[in-house]
Amino acid sequence: MNPEKKKQIRDFIDSLDKQEQIWANGYLEGLLQEGSPMPNLPAKPLGENKKITIAYGTESGNSKKIANLFASRAKQEGIHAKLVSLDQYRLADLPKEEYFLTVISTQGEGEPPASAKKFYDHIHQNGFKLPKLKYGVLALGDTSYPMFCKAGEDVDHQLGHLGGERIVDIQRCDVDFEQEASTWMNDVLQKLSGSKVDNLAPVKTTKKPGGKKIYQGEILTNINLNDRGSSKQTHHIEIGCEEVFYKPGDSLGLVPFNPTVTVEDIIALTGIDQERTFVHRNDTYTAYELLHKKLNIVYLPERVVAKYAVHVEQEIPAVKTGLLDLLKKYPVKDAAHFEVFLQQLEPTTPRLYSIASSLESLDGEVHLTVAKDAYTLEEELKYGLCSDHLCSLKAGDKIEFYIHHNDQFRLPQDDQDVIMIGPGTGIAPFRAFLSERESAGAAGRNWLFYGDQHFTTDFLYQTELQQWLESGVLSMLDVAFSRDQAEKIYVQHKIKSRANEFIQWLQNGAFLYVCGAKKMSEDVEKTILDLIEKSGAGLNPTAYLDELKSNGRYLKDVY
Amino acid sequence: MFIEPLLMSDAHLSHIEKVKQASDALRGSISEGLADEITGSISEDDKALVKFHGMYLQDDRDRREERAEKKLERLYSFMIRLRLPGGFLTADQWLATQNIAGEHATGVIKITTRQTVQLHGLYKSHVKPTIQAFNQASLYSLATCGDINRNVIAAAHPRQSPIHQEIHDFSYKIDQLLLPKTKAYYEIWLDDEKIADKKDEEDPLYQDRYLPRKFKIAIAIPPNNDVDVFGNDLGLIAVIEKGKLQGYNISIGGGLSSTHGNPATYPRLGTVIGFVSGEENILKTIYEVVTIQRDYGNRSDRSLARLKYTVDKMGVDWFKTEIARRTGFVLEKERPFLFTERKDYYGWFQNSDSLWYYTPFIENGRVTDDEKVAMKTALYEIAETRKLNFRFTANQNVILADIQSEDKAAIEKILQKYNIEAYTQSISSIRRNSMACVALSTCPLAFAEAQRYLPSLLSKIEPLLDKYHLQQEDIILRMTGCPNGCARSYIAEIGFIGTSLGKYNLQLGGDHAGMRLNKVFKESLDEDAILQELDVLFAAFAKEKKAGESLGDFALRKQWV
Repeated sequence: MNPEKKKQIRDFIDSLDKQEQIWANGYLEGLLQEGSPMPNLPAKPLGENKKITIAYGTESGNSKKIANLFASRAKQEGIHAKLVSLDQYRLADLPKEEYFLTVISTQGEGEPPASAKKFYDHIHQNGFKLPKLKYGVLALGDTSYPMFCKAGEDVDHQLGHLGGERIVDIQRCDVDFEQEASTWMNDVLQKLSGSKVDNLAPVKTTKKPGGKKIYQGEILTNINLNDRGSSKQTHHIEIGCEEVFYKPGDSLGLVPFNPTVTVEDIIALTGIDQERTFVHRNDTYTAYELLHKKLNIVYLPERVVAKYAVHVEQEIPAVKTGLLDLLKKYPVKDAAHFEVFLQQLEPTTPRLYSIASSLESLDGEVHLTVAKDAYTLEEELKYGLCSDHLCSLKAGDKIEFYIHHNDQFRLPQDDQDVIMIGPGTGIAPFRAFLSERESAGAAGRNWLFYGDQHFTTDFLYQTELQQWLESGVLSMLDVAFSRDQAEKIYVQHKIKSRANEFIQWLQNGAFLYVCGAKKMSEDVEKTILDLIEKSGAGLNPTAYLDELKSNGRYLKDVY
Repeated sequence: MFIEPLLMSDAHLSHIEKVKQASDALRGSISEGLADEITGSISEDDKALVKFHGMYLQDDRDRREERAEKKLERLYSFMIRLRLPGGFLTADQWLATQNIAGEHATGVIKITTRQTVQLHGLYKSHVKPTIQAFNQASLYSLATCGDINRNVIAAAHPRQSPIHQEIHDFSYKIDQLLLPKTKAYYEIWLDDEKIADKKDEEDPLYQDRYLPRKFKIAIAIPPNNDVDVFGNDLGLIAVIEKGKLQGYNISIGGGLSSTHGNPATYPRLGTVIGFVSGEENILKTIYEVVTIQRDYGNRSDRSLARLKYTVDKMGVDWFKTEIARRTGFVLEKERPFLFTERKDYYGWFQNSDSLWYYTPFIENGRVTDDEKVAMKTALYEIAETRKLNFRFTANQNVILADIQSEDKAAIEKILQKYNIEAYTQSISSIRRNSMACVALSTCPLAFAEAQRYLPSLLSKIEPLLDKYHLQQEDIILRMTGCPNGCARSYIAEIGFIGTSLGKYNLQLGGDHAGMRLNKVFKESLDEDAILQELDVLFAAFAKEKKAGESLGDFALRKQWV
């Protein structure tokens, strides 16, 4: 086997997680035993003149995984496939592309992943045409979010709008994306090769149909980490759950329930039979369950308000409003009339919280670091629903959640050094990292930058960090408290004050992690670019950081 | 008889002794500790060293449990104490102190039992700015805590003698004589350049070991023993004849601390060992008492290290001989003296130079604004007139001092505006004569409450006195949260010494002038029991006291203790 191929195999295998590797192993074995013909590269010359680009926009790593798989399958078909992450993609190349396949996920309220933001904004500028472009979009999403696959839909629509030719219809995938993704790949390859492609078995995993696993947990502890006098309220929440599985870097997802008072008021007001069942996104629920646990009724987005206006045939101002207020001001005719609208309501957006614990050190527990949103305006109040709910839970309360895996935010090998920048609740995954590395006895050094408003009241996990510093798990700990002195001091100032060591660590191969507010991550990045510039090592800052990114050594989890 | 000072091997030295010797003239790793942003604390060894710089590291004991649950370390803060020999501040210095307290500490100024002021609740990052701000006002904290000569106290009120000023000035001379030579304070806190030649800070008095324990000096002017001269390691009792200072009677070995459950420890009143005159000889005597304590004091057991134990171990005669050997002269026989009272002169008084003085009542020495009186605001406004000085008493009060007759009205106007005079007059006699130490929540030694609790206890004792028509009696009542006696509870007529939360030993039998220690009457009483015992005591006192007899004398005569 030539080294090129060997490398491809190696890369491909690396792109798989453990379970997929086991599956691939069995798959190959099965193929050989059955004596069925291996898909053979030279035997499929049909598509060899076609050049395709497979671009992915990923947040948790699923899009990347699919894009990888797709690229290798295209190659099997003799198609030259260029695989690129959208944040590495040169936008100037777009008009020159012939075939452009996008695999993209959707975040939160329908926005693209951070790594696809630049591309997404670019194609929405409309100032250019892409007459040569033939394209297809595979959209990943989660039906439990209101704007299911919105980012993919936008890309699909906009590429068409710019003059591109859609060669296959958009495929929307839920969390159990394997079947749909495989079908889409086959369709594309068929279009490209002009003949029927071997219908390979769908990508399988051991996941049960029906998507993500929902866990039932119990609150063990819930404490406000901020001391009296703080303007913040950050809760450390420990959840017990025997069978939970996750890795440091993962998040916990949950859907906040609506206040029962509101639900009961709505039921009373509309006269709907609360036991009446409805099908919602493939599952059956009673009206009460829907209103309490599934649907967003607290603050309806404008688009839903508009739908309601149509439904009740009234003029209603296009502002976010609670369903109860709407029902009071613009009543429905009767229960049946409401039931129709019920099915136009959107699901409540799940909220994700970076996990702050490690199963290696503490089996059967998930810890969270939850900032209670204290913003006052309407949009934030909606987010407040979840943090408020979490922060109010007491020991013994039950909680339903799922694990949102994030392969884009993992610890490196044990012997690698790690720099973690995580002010505020950004510290959560790093508490998980440090616990994990402590339990593993990892030899790599760990350096944490932490910051908040006040040393006395806001030093989250202070005593734990002190112990890690004492035991050597933390090699270095730098803290910035912005409001303890006249001038504001943030983590980036601390990074700057440690310029030499910081660059040395990076030059020695350290992995760089940033978690927390987006604005902070931008300031931190600016500072790091500046440090590289001034390091005297003659490095090109942007190229240097890009290389770190493509080597998986610069990872961000920002919100 | 000459006894060679004990040159103890390292093995017998207490840990603190080793820390002092290895500290590079009190530097230790204080600067590094200040720069450590991960903790509000400093290292154990540095905790001992910062005392010499005038600070204690404390933590809010009320908050320990809750903060531990929040995964926060203890709420550490520093207490800083000023060096004010004789307890004197200009109006500008008072304003500076109040401003600093507001900006860097809790905002409360605590007047101490040693005629100085201290600020509480300074977080580590505020210590250096605080010391620098004090320095701007020519105020220092060097050597106000630690194993060293502490703030020298002197009879507070200028009306006590026409030569009060001369005696008061002497406290500065003693202070300067016994200051350590180290430049560490200036380097660490004031960013002075590091000294090039270590010879510049060679210290023939303290050497590299300092003293075995704290060392307290007081100067009293009879007949008022407001400074509690016999509670000090070294006491100077002014002998004035025909309006002239003749010299001082010297008292040694006073000290009021003891340890619960350790019978080897005890409070002790000073022993008068003679009389000395002439400034040079007086200073020489003081200096050599300190060197003897330096050389012979116990350096292995800190609970037995005060001068009183050295005096009792070596004997008073030996001590006198040793002083003579070191000074080159023998002390004269003590001159007669008489103390009749210990008190602050509340209200308006004039001194011999016709300057005016006003002493308001400040409960437990805490200058703050509360629901009863806006003392802090009032004193600030008064200081802003800059027509007075501030003098502190050893009973935790302030005297608005040295006011010219033509300025008195302006000050009075402000006092009236804030109702200070009426407030002071309304205070019962027993409350005026009471003192409490800081205790909980910041003092690490406290077993029980003191300054936070005493005001409410007094409110329950006052009706008992009224009941027996004893409200005019000048009963001296003091409370401490532990047996270390900071508020001198061992020489009160009614002393409360904390044994555990809510429990106090009740001590009786101290005299009115501070010449006699009290004794334990009942141990570990709670509030109900205290009030019951006092009720019985007051009833008996009202019925059986002789004319002019004080409560302390009565308790002793009637063998209550």
